[in-house]
Amino acid sequence: MKIKWNLQKGCLAFLAAYAALASLFYWIGGEQLRTRVDVEESISPSASAGEILSDTILEQTFSAQYDRLTDFSVLVGTFGRVNSGTLSADLYVQDPQGEKELVEHFSVDMSQLQDGGWLNLRLARPLEDAAGKTLVLAFSSQDGSLGNAVTLYYGNSIAAGRVEVQSADWIPLYKDGQPLEGTLCLKTTGETNLWFGHYYWYIFAGAGVLLAAYCWRLCSLQKKGKNCLGLKLLAAFSRYRFLIRQLVGRDFKTKYKRSVLGVLWSFLNPLLTMLVQYVVFSTIFKSDIPNFPVYLLTGIVLFNFFNEACGMGITSILGNASLITKVYVPKYIYPVTRVFSSSINLLLSLLPLLLVVLYTHTPIRPAILLLPFSLVCLLCFCIGMALILASLMVFFRDTQFLWNVLSMIWLYITPIFYPETIIPARFMVIYKMNPMYHFIRFARTVVINGVSPEPKAYLICLIFAVGSLVIGGLIFRKAQDKFVLYI
Amino acid sequence: MIEVKDVSMCFRMSRDRVQSLKEYLVMLVKGKLKYKDFWALKNVSFSVRPGEVLGIVGRNGAGKSTILKIISGILKPTEGSVSVRGNIVPMLELGSGFDYDLTGRENIYLNGAILGYSKKFLDERYEEIVQFSELGEFIEMPIRNYSSGMMMRLAFSVATVVNPEILIVDEILAVGDEAFQRKSRRRMLELMSGGTTVLFVSHDLDQIRQMCDRVVWLDHGQVKMIGKTKEVCDAYQI
Repeated sequence: MKIKWNLQKGCLAFLAAYAALASLFYWIGGEQLRTRVDVEESISPSASAGEILSDTILEQTFSAQYDRLTDFSVLVGTFGRVNSGTLSADLYVQDPQGEKELVEHFSVDMSQLQDGGWLNLRLARPLEDAAGKTLVLAFSSQDGSLGNAVTLYYGNSIAAGRVEVQSADWIPLYKDGQPLEGTLCLKTTGETNLWFGHYYWYIFAGAGVLLAAYCWRLCSLQKKGKNCLGLKLLAAFSRYRFLIRQLVGRDFKTKYKRSVLGVLWSFLNPLLTMLVQYVVFSTIFKSDIPNFPVYLLTGIVLFNFFNEACGMGITSILGNASLITKVYVPKYIYPVTRVFSSSINLLLSLLPLLLVVLYTHTPIRPAILLLPFSLVCLLCFCIGMALILASLMVFFRDTQFLWNVLSMIWLYITPIFYPETIIPARFMVIYKMNPMYHFIRFARTVVINGVSPEPKAYLICLIFAVGSLVIGGLIFRKAQDKFVLYI
Repeated sequence: MIEVKDVSMCFRMSRDRVQSLKEYLVMLVKGKLKYKDFWALKNVSFSVRPGEVLGIVGRNGAGKSTILKIISGILKPTEGSVSVRGNIVPMLELGSGFDYDLTGRENIYLNGAILGYSKKFLDERYEEIVQFSELGEFIEMPIRNYSSGMMMRLAFSVATVVNPEILIVDEILAVGDEAFQRKSRRRMLELMSGGTTVLFVSHDLDQIRQMCDRVVWLDHGQVKMIGKTKEVCDAYQI
């Protein structure tokens, strides 16, 4: 069969698509590629510093490890009453000699403060190079008098799970020059510059040159009539495209062939699952996740796809035994097509997700265009898994029962219906090793927050996707010659 | 065109096939994981020239089907190598890959794709396939409603619509009622005498004598004789 694949045209189109996508990505990724927003959480409050009277000065020295300090918040108490007057806060930078230089002066209307609430102060101009500097925050109030004043909280322990742990090195809060037994409850927010965004165009150009060189190599090799891995892959792809499409079509057509609602089930299934879990987790178990329906459905849709793809992939070789023993077709076609068939389901189940997004008035931002990235990574990951499972299944039929248990465990160690925050810090390492966690987190950031995740998230998703594909491919290749003898 | 070099095929026969991890471990512990090697083919070499019709004869279990499966790529030889230039259409078993829930039309495309035809080719030959199968309007029905004869007619029509470079035939297939049997036999003979390279396995020596240029005689997995049709057939018949 002749390969009717115009390589040169294909390469040009590919490079053009690369340039377009990379530029689009820069636009969508926006600030998240250049800077990362970090929040340093506050210490747990244990005592109040007492009323801030007209002659009281509360002074806290602190440092902020950001390239740019943008916000800070303090925990205020109003003694349960409405106070009048203003509270002033001054942010200074202290040089090593002890000289203080005013950065910004804030005055807050005390009547607007809430008891036990966070008072957020945003710098009019972010403080650049905050990392190396010693910062001092001073609070006072001219209008403060007994019975009409607010207070700030301080403490010296941090919450770790259910226990409070003594914080190691805290700088005491000074009240009128006297140190108190703790540090101010202070939350800071800042931005850190990322080298990825800074060098984005260089990376983009570098990768572009590499790709162009590879394309050029492919073209010249093809002209000479030589072969290489890339050409072989392209040839295999163009040759078996029709077969893959036919097999996917078959899977899809026969799946709902004799059900009344047919393809509607692809929409209904995730929607109903979500509804059940939503009811269970929002009424019986209280959860305080913002935008819970979307949070839940994103997880369900992605995990369902993973589950279905692996479940179908696991029997892909055995189920096609009659074909494998009679006609020669590259065997990887079977697991791959099974995963593709379930990806059609995934695409269909994105529709209910869209509906729920619209219904909950989640704003749709351009970042949602990044969703395909996590889906493609997930697809690759599933193909890898399907290749591994299908090969195992041929040799040991127990695999499918083991897999049932394993996938259930997997479901529970992935934060689908519970928030990430309930995971104890010491188990976080295990979570970080769970690929599904990263794919789902990526999708949620994009859909719910409407921003691009940090560059590291892309890298992690990519590593898991490519890694699983490579490992699966190698295992499958090693095992495939023996399949015929065991099925 | 086809070059078979020192091909050996070994099947491992454990006394009972271990199919679960538990069984495997139990057997391993008991030290009962004994295999018996069975050599279905041993050092088989021959070559087929372009346009040649090569017959393969031998008793049951001589390794005829195994060598066909190796040449068509389904099995990988334990030792030796096979090189094939040109695309192969194996006519080993018809209708593999039919899906019973799909209609005849969908199955033509599915089965065609499995046999390696392109979409363009199937679009062009679709009418011809339907006509040859004599299925008429049934072609739009799910094939689970077909009779076995109808199914075989459809399978045969799809499989023989091509002009392959290499054709592998395991017995000349005659399916359906008597009229269709005659028709299908004619189609097979046409295909085989059309200048393509053919590998032909049969127990019908008359057909072998009639069709083949050369014959390979396999006996217990080894080539017992290879040469002109007449000589080998005469030797085999004794």
